[in-house]
Amino acid sequence: MYFSLFEQVILLVFVIFSVSSFTYEIWKRISIIIKGTGTLPIDRIGERCLRFFREVLLQEKVIRERFLPGLMHALVFWGFMAFGVITLDHFVRGFNGRLLGETAYSIYSWVAAPFAVLVIIGILYLAYRRFYLKPKELGKISITSGLVAIFITLLMATYMLTELDLPENIEKLNWWGHSFLILAFLFLIPRSKHLHLVLAPVNIFFRSFTVPDHDTVEIDMEASEEELDSMLSGLTKMSKKQALDIFSCVECGRCTEVCPANRGGGLLDPKHHFILDLKDPMLHSSGVDVLGQINVEAGWECTTCQACTDICPVGNHVEKSDEIRRHQVLVEGQVPQEYQKVFRNLQESGNTEGAFQSPLADTLPDYKPDKDYLLWLGCFARYGLDPDFENSVRSFTKILDEAGVTYGVLTEEMCSGDPANRLGDKLTYQMLMEQNKEQLEGVKKVTSLCPHCVVNLDQEYKKYGEVSYKVEHHTQVISKLIDSKKISVSRSSSEKLTYHDPCNLSRTLDEIDAPRNALNASSSKYFEMEEHGNKTLCCGAGGGLWWKKETKGRTHLVRAQQVVESGAETVATGCNFCFGMMKQGLGPLTPDDQKEIQVKDIADIVAENLVAN
Amino acid sequence: MKIAVLIKQVPVSDSTFRPAENELWIEEGQIQYEMNENDSFALEEALLIKEKRGEGEVVVVCMGPSGRAPRVIREALAKGADRAVHIVEEGPFETDPHQIAHILFESIQSESFDLIFSGLQSVDLGMGQTGVLLGAMLGMSTATLAMSTEIQEDKIRVKRELESGWFQWLTLPLPASVSIQSGINTPRYPSLKGIMGAKKKEIKTINKTDLNLSEGLQKVTRIYNLETDKQTEYIEGDPDVQVARLMDILKSEVKVLGA
Ligand code: SF4
Ligand code: SF4
Repeated sequence: MYFSLFEQVILLVFVIFSVSSFTYEIWKRISIIIKGTGTLPIDRIGERCLRFFREVLLQEKVIRERFLPGLMHALVFWGFMAFGVITLDHFVRGFNGRLLGETAYSIYSWVAAPFAVLVIIGILYLAYRRFYLKPKELGKISITSGLVAIFITLLMATYMLTELDLPENIEKLNWWGHSFLILAFLFLIPRSKHLHLVLAPVNIFFRSFTVPDHDTVEIDMEASEEELDSMLSGLTKMSKKQALDIFSCVECGRCTEVCPANRGGGLLDPKHHFILDLKDPMLHSSGVDVLGQINVEAGWECTTCQACTDICPVGNHVEKSDEIRRHQVLVEGQVPQEYQKVFRNLQESGNTEGAFQSPLADTLPDYKPDKDYLLWLGCFARYGLDPDFENSVRSFTKILDEAGVTYGVLTEEMCSGDPANRLGDKLTYQMLMEQNKEQLEGVKKVTSLCPHCVVNLDQEYKKYGEVSYKVEHHTQVISKLIDSKKISVSRSSSEKLTYHDPCNLSRTLDEIDAPRNALNASSSKYFEMEEHGNKTLCCGAGGGLWWKKETKGRTHLVRAQQVVESGAETVATGCNFCFGMMKQGLGPLTPDDQKEIQVKDIADIVAENLVAN
Repeated sequence: MKIAVLIKQVPVSDSTFRPAENELWIEEGQIQYEMNENDSFALEEALLIKEKRGEGEVVVVCMGPSGRAPRVIREALAKGADRAVHIVEEGPFETDPHQIAHILFESIQSESFDLIFSGLQSVDLGMGQTGVLLGAMLGMSTATLAMSTEIQEDKIRVKRELESGWFQWLTLPLPASVSIQSGINTPRYPSLKGIMGAKKKEIKTINKTDLNLSEGLQKVTRIYNLETDKQTEYIEGDPDVQVARLMDILKSEVKVLGA
């Protein structure tokens, strides 16, 4: 094929138009991202590269989360990779040049041609799913998606035609067709969710290793008015990573599909409320000062379970309840009355209940520096938010006693601050954190039955500065005691037993194995629920929602319903809030002809099956 | 528009109470205090009026001990009140609403407020009279149990809650003293800016002992826990005997029937 000067000029004009429009649109977004606060993280670079390899190049997560559509997506993705060189070569030909020599090209065609078929299969399946199956989570049908599907199919078809021996004029026509499709595609990409082609790999690379990962809010009570104003106005500004998230979203709806608030019939729809709703304001204002525009009511419904963030295929930190809540509390002063009560209790008495005495703490030994562990009770256990949980604490101390491990509690233990932190009252949180840090000075090892406390004492406090101690969740302590044979447990529990992974333990602390180790050591009838491990479904109590009076939906019942349907006789948990929430949910949900399902802590199951050494 | 809001610091109502040794009040030690719930609605109503009108002053007036009362005063200032009058009372605490109104009258009579809002009643004493009495002493028009308010030039229109779901609309000339029912609005939470700004706001303190007061009209003579005891008597015999005994108990022992 030979291209005349006229043809070359035409081609050049189109290429310039398409490439510059593409670059302009991308630049528009990059310039917004740059305005974000902070920096894009590049710590643990090796792990980042590995993750990039697995999640981007191998498409591992996409395939794992939704197998068939994921695989089809991977086919298209791999096909695109394979076609990179071919496409470049295609355009060079338009200027009568070649990128690949004749032989190299024909060898490479052997790789590319099968991919063309695979891409067609992939894209046709995805289109079939999008336009025929119409899964709810994908939302409204978009014309661009249809166009893109047609483009890709035609691209592959026109490519395959080039491999045939066609008459010269048809070949040229086909060549132009292929070129225009590519240029049109390039034009469409940045204007649609297909921008994820460009941004998702970058976003996955920069994804944080800590979840949840919200900016700290440090409040200086001595600050001048200007300093205070600038701190407060910073609260509604996105970080660079958050801005990148918004443009990377592929609108797949996985986040909303797994959201417990949404599944329970609530209003919250993280795909829209936390991501897509912010896109237009960003583009219109060419800035990142948009966090104040998150739907407030939706923000209060979030249990901060991080299921959305965990599942997002493009590496978004979806959950943004922290951002909207802290804005409501610190700037607007608009806080549901029940939470105002919790905040006041925390300020006045240092615990969520406004209590002055803990009957449980009074019966436990005091912490002294010669003890192995500081046993951190947390408000739930300390003030009997569910009085039955006291037994679980005693089960744990029984295990420690049996193992000869010494422990003690702080007489002046304050709330770790979890509810204040998650509900946005960063001032009260800071006050509690400072007092607790002071009390914990010099302490080496802390253990707690409450994953919320563990996350705060450890991961969250560390965001504000060093801590001297190590914190272990009690299931980690128990699991280690079993492994090191400090306690013996018999597998004598014969009830049908399942385990509900607490969000804070599984997704935030990434602890999946320790609880299972303990349960398998004590029971021969242990089985998994469908949603388990870091795919667990929140009990409904997280994010301070334990204290919420009315909820629109049945967030707190969805998980309990699953437990009822699982056929378990006993459900074990590793979190006091899950314990309390499960009990509240299971009661009314258990059918009349079914025995009420027992709720126990892992410590209870292990303690029941202890064998004296 | 100058609005005074009477706020009281009260024990959180689900605390465990013990009578103090002198049996004149409760043991203060392990009790958490907060702004009386009705009063926080009254404060919010005043703030909303000020914000809606875009002008005015909201002054909170609080009587209580110097040790703890400033906490609720600061909270009110943080929420947006412009300044405060703190009448310091170290105890024994005044419990007679007439006397309390008198103390408040002495403290604020020079201010000429257009409006006084108070909570319908305090959760600790539940008298529900202070606001009205104070209004009367200041020669204001008064209303109780407001479910909504609306300022109309020199009048205030108030929707009052009556029994069995009945309401009454009243229009009162200003100045007026109105007591506010819970649920009339949604009280705000102090914003960070409010909290920081409150530090600079004026709190005028007046010592109760410096005021010119005469003897109160009523006083608490004893606070005690009700003694409960259980007695069980099986009434035996034929029905006539049983009925006779039962009537006897109801008339002479439990005294719910006339002799
Ligand atoms: S954190 Fe959990 S509750 Fe909140 S939006 Fe995400 S999935 Fe929904
Ligand atoms: S945020 Fe992530 S999970 Fe949610 S719709 Fe966008 S890409 Fe999908």
